[in-house]
Amino acid sequence: MSVSVRPIKIAIMALGGQGGGVLADWIIALGERAGFQAQATSVPGVAQRTGATIYYVEMFPAEATAKRGKAPVLALMPVPGDVDVVIASELMEAGRALARGLVSSQTSLVFSTHRDYAIGEKIAMGDGRLSSQAMLEALGASGARLHGADLAAACAGAPLSAALFGALAASGALPVSPESFASLLREGRGAERNLAAFEAGRAAILQGESKQPSVANRPLVSGRGGVSRVAERIGADVPREAGDIARIGAERCADFQDWRYAHSYLDRISNVAAVDKEAGPGRGFRLTAIVTKRLAPWMTYEDAIRVADLKTRSTRFARVRDDVHAAPGQVVWFSEYLHPRAEEICDLLPEWLAKAVLSSRTLKNGLNAVLGGGRRVSTNRLRGFLPLWSLAKLRPWRRASHRFSVEQRRIEAWLARVREIAVGDYETACELAEAPVLLKGYGETYERGVRSFESIMAALGAVRASTAPAATLKRLLQAALADEEGAGLARAIAALSPADAGVREQA
Amino acid sequence: MAERSFAEEVEKLRLGEGDVFRGEGILAVAKALLQAGVAYVGGYQGAPISHLMDVFSDAQNILGELGVHFEASASEAAAAAMLAASVNYPLRGAVTWKSTVGTNVASDALANVASSGVRGGALVIVGEDYGEGSSIMQERSHAFAMKSQMWLLDPRPNLESIVAMVERGFELSEASNTPVMLELRIRACHLYGSFLAKRNTAPTLALREAMENPSRDYSRVVLPPSNFAHEVEKIERRWPAAVEFIKSRRLNEFLGGHKGDVGIIVQGGLYNTLMRALERLGLADIYGETDIPIYCLNVAYPLIDDEVKGFCADKRAVLVVEEGQPEFIEQAINSILRRADLPARLIGKDVLPHAGEYTGEALQLGLNAFFDAHAPALLRRSPPAPSARADLTKIVPQRPAGFCVGCPERPVFAAMKLLEKEIGKFHVSCDIGCHLFSILPPFDIGNTTMGYGLGWAGASAFGVEAKQRTLAVMGDGGFWHNGLTSGVGNAVFNRNDNVLVIVDNGYSAATGGQDLLSSRAENSRKSTNNPIARAVRGLGVEWVREAHTYNIGAMKRVLKEAMTTAFKGPKVVIAQAECMLNRQRRERPQREAAIAAGKRVVRARFGVDPDTCTGDHACIRLSGCPSLTIRDNPDPLRDHPVTWVNNECVGCGVCGENAHAAVLCPSFFRADLIYNPTWFDRVLANGRGALIGWLQSFGDRRQRKLAIET
Repeated sequence: MSVSVRPIKIAIMALGGQGGGVLADWIIALGERAGFQAQATSVPGVAQRTGATIYYVEMFPAEATAKRGKAPVLALMPVPGDVDVVIASELMEAGRALARGLVSSQTSLVFSTHRDYAIGEKIAMGDGRLSSQAMLEALGASGARLHGADLAAACAGAPLSAALFGALAASGALPVSPESFASLLREGRGAERNLAAFEAGRAAILQGESKQPSVANRPLVSGRGGVSRVAERIGADVPREAGDIARIGAERCADFQDWRYAHSYLDRISNVAAVDKEAGPGRGFRLTAIVTKRLAPWMTYEDAIRVADLKTRSTRFARVRDDVHAAPGQVVWFSEYLHPRAEEICDLLPEWLAKAVLSSRTLKNGLNAVLGGGRRVSTNRLRGFLPLWSLAKLRPWRRASHRFSVEQRRIEAWLARVREIAVGDYETACELAEAPVLLKGYGETYERGVRSFESIMAALGAVRASTAPAATLKRLLQAALADEEGAGLARAIAALSPADAGVREQA
Repeated sequence: MAERSFAEEVEKLRLGEGDVFRGEGILAVAKALLQAGVAYVGGYQGAPISHLMDVFSDAQNILGELGVHFEASASEAAAAAMLAASVNYPLRGAVTWKSTVGTNVASDALANVASSGVRGGALVIVGEDYGEGSSIMQERSHAFAMKSQMWLLDPRPNLESIVAMVERGFELSEASNTPVMLELRIRACHLYGSFLAKRNTAPTLALREAMENPSRDYSRVVLPPSNFAHEVEKIERRWPAAVEFIKSRRLNEFLGGHKGDVGIIVQGGLYNTLMRALERLGLADIYGETDIPIYCLNVAYPLIDDEVKGFCADKRAVLVVEEGQPEFIEQAINSILRRADLPARLIGKDVLPHAGEYTGEALQLGLNAFFDAHAPALLRRSPPAPSARADLTKIVPQRPAGFCVGCPERPVFAAMKLLEKEIGKFHVSCDIGCHLFSILPPFDIGNTTMGYGLGWAGASAFGVEAKQRTLAVMGDGGFWHNGLTSGVGNAVFNRNDNVLVIVDNGYSAATGGQDLLSSRAENSRKSTNNPIARAVRGLGVEWVREAHTYNIGAMKRVLKEAMTTAFKGPKVVIAQAECMLNRQRRERPQREAAIAAGKRVVRARFGVDPDTCTGDHACIRLSGCPSLTIRDNPDPLRDHPVTWVNNECVGCGVCGENAHAAVLCPSFFRADLIYNPTWFDRVLANGRGALIGWLQSFGDRRQRKLAIET
């Protein structure tokens, strides 16, 4: 028995539709040209429909076969701990290889660091994403040689399989020259696009770049009048820890309504900051920071005026073009899917009128009938643009609207409880300050959020009477984001003991 | 048209004597059939054997030249019944399907042909869909071979062995007048490798000649008294003939060394995995050289008693490597050893897993345990510590299969989900096909699946009056396979009052997009364009509605009507829209060509505005489209990721329809990109752009003033 020559073992981890099969074919052709006998197999099946698949290739030097006069027995599936090259089309697929034991110290791992979120991560009502950081750390600790970069970003819509092929070339994991890789693509179909993606993938690995998603930094423009007064106030009244967020929040409020509104935002923050200051040093104004962040989106809630405004801006038009990869100068028509209901119209009416309409079934149904369900509004045609643009101009009227007063009352009630609780139980106050994350969305989604929020506010007495109030409150917030029917939250609240409920009444 | 074009592969079928064939295992089988002079081939598509069907569909010219008749059978039962041609005539025939599901369907005909016996070689090629990547119940085809007495070939997984076994299979079938099954596991079907080709052979007897010179023999028909005679014949004549052939032609192989008092008996299909495991343990080299005696069963059924006895006679302990359960081979060998009073200990499932695929790691551990107990001196290396990391499974997401980008079946289930919110939950009986993905997130719709075309029959027990009706789902593939009679006919006959939704996407989509009776495409060799609605009405269903799937509002209304109407009797909703995978495959090249040719083309796609999206993802919970995904929220004031539509979007419109039907949110937009605009497009765009831009400039100025410098 001889032990010297062993096959090169390559596992490709890909998602259905990402071209894992094409990549395997290229690797086989590459190997055969370089004097290897190649064998490959896969288990595509239903996984071809968006699931995770593995392709497995073994390459054996034809020379060794000839010398020995006998063909090797090649395996049909990767064996944990015995894979030389793992190619993963996505970060978590690299992780899957690691979890299956395919990545070891003998492995060169060629992978894209981008994420294709799995359905379980996408359907969460909040943030259901698994930690990329934890995965990167686990990969780092594996002892494998890592060759990772954001190849999806690098190839910008061109075939990811070709970018991975480029990354494989750059890794030097196969005893084949980079030129052989490229010449193979040059002879195939779609050579131009493939070669571009190949080069991009190769360059990304060679530069060791991994592009992180970044929040765009908007250039600051100096202002006068309202701007400078708000800026002064942020400097004076808002703790440094919350300053940056307060600036963005104040801008957002001014944009939503006016400078006066931005000042009420800052008023509310400074009221909390005052309580925070008394709560003592060492807390780093955590409560104020949370309130600053959660208050701004709430105060700039999405009513029809706001949506119409955001939808008709020039910056938004530019972003849409960008999003759909429109070529410069290309004609693009876009239209919005709007579905205003009686409730959204009533948001804008004076409170007495809104209440009258909402309490009358006939009026409500009539209004809904007139609005006529869903409609598509083409925003960059005048017929669609003008109504939305005009609606956005109703901004000054908003202060007199039903929704405005409802939201302000709700905000004040919340802030009052936050300040009150902060005096005795800072941690619970911080959790309560997070609660506005539940208030989001439109229509039924928004109504569900309000219901969850209100039932948590109502249960605060019981929460405070529980043994670990901050942890309890945190659990309630998580429960509220666990299911659409609100069943989890209802159960969690009911589980707070009846004794607690008694305390709630007194509180 | 199938999902893939096999034009290149078809050319491989023409390779002649001494040419090197390079390609997939299942295509090598196709080539081997032609080399063996097959007269007819049938089958039903399904992973992992779809490609054999697809390549034969595309190879009509070659088949015509050789006089081979190929049929895409209506079901596996229809395919198996084709083998009847080999009962009276010396015609070689082969049929193929996904197993065990297909073998289940085929077993009526298989049992009959196995009882009759065959004159011409009859080969049943089963793609054993077992282990990783499988989509069906985990069972063995082995049982079918045993119960009907058909021989079961399980060749070593390399193309040379597989191809040789096709030819031996026909010979064995003819020598023993018995149909033969050739079992190929998933990985063997998809195995890329090479073999030395031979020239194709025309059948010795043409089908035409047989038709023009019919011969009959009543003793071949399964009816008393012949059925009793068949049973005796199976035992007294066909079995011994098969054993003789297998022995004399050395279909099973004695590999490895000849010394030592421990040995291994392995199914041919597991040989490569076994050898790699032995190599990892330091007991073999990469060329398969080992001192351990190995008896490789390329014929898994029947066992050759003499060979087994000979192999075990001088051994203290023998390991049987047999995948799946029950362990038929192990039981049979035990019985042989007991009868022969041989002392060798037989080890099998006591060191190897009872259930599940025999992976390299599973075999390493089993072999280690075996040698450790029975020949510890041989062990040179202990198996490497298991390197799979259970601790990581929590940070790696599950990726269940799902509907493709733009799939027309998605809106059907979105409509159902919305309907459930309105009229309450209902029992949903599912079928086989892409639509079965409805049981997975985000839809979670479906109670059971009872087999292909059996969706409606699976709800037939609920034939009583109730406040809520049941709903059954069936694809067009399942409908034509079996659902027409077992589902619709059954419901009409029994005056069922429930609802069936037939998803009519124009193809047998899950198996690779093959044509069906109701396909809209013109097909020069098949009869297509036979509407499902006509078939259903023809059976006597009075309440039939057709609806376009992408219109979710309308789909929901139709489903609601079906579930709540006062009409008594079976109700059928036919949900129509072309499979997007196939549609894109057809339209994308056309569109690209049109754009390149300078023609005006409009391409639609969807998007989400990040500044109005609040990150609740209700839209994703109603869709699950791969192109509808999430990303970091660009707003520093919000944490939850926003929804966005990536560039894979094909513009099917379901996002927008959902936003309307479920009153979700105003963030969705549709963008129509115009390629090669006319002068009118440009004038319109410029004019509108200028006016709108002027109006927007006021807002721009206001926003510029709002930026705060700190």
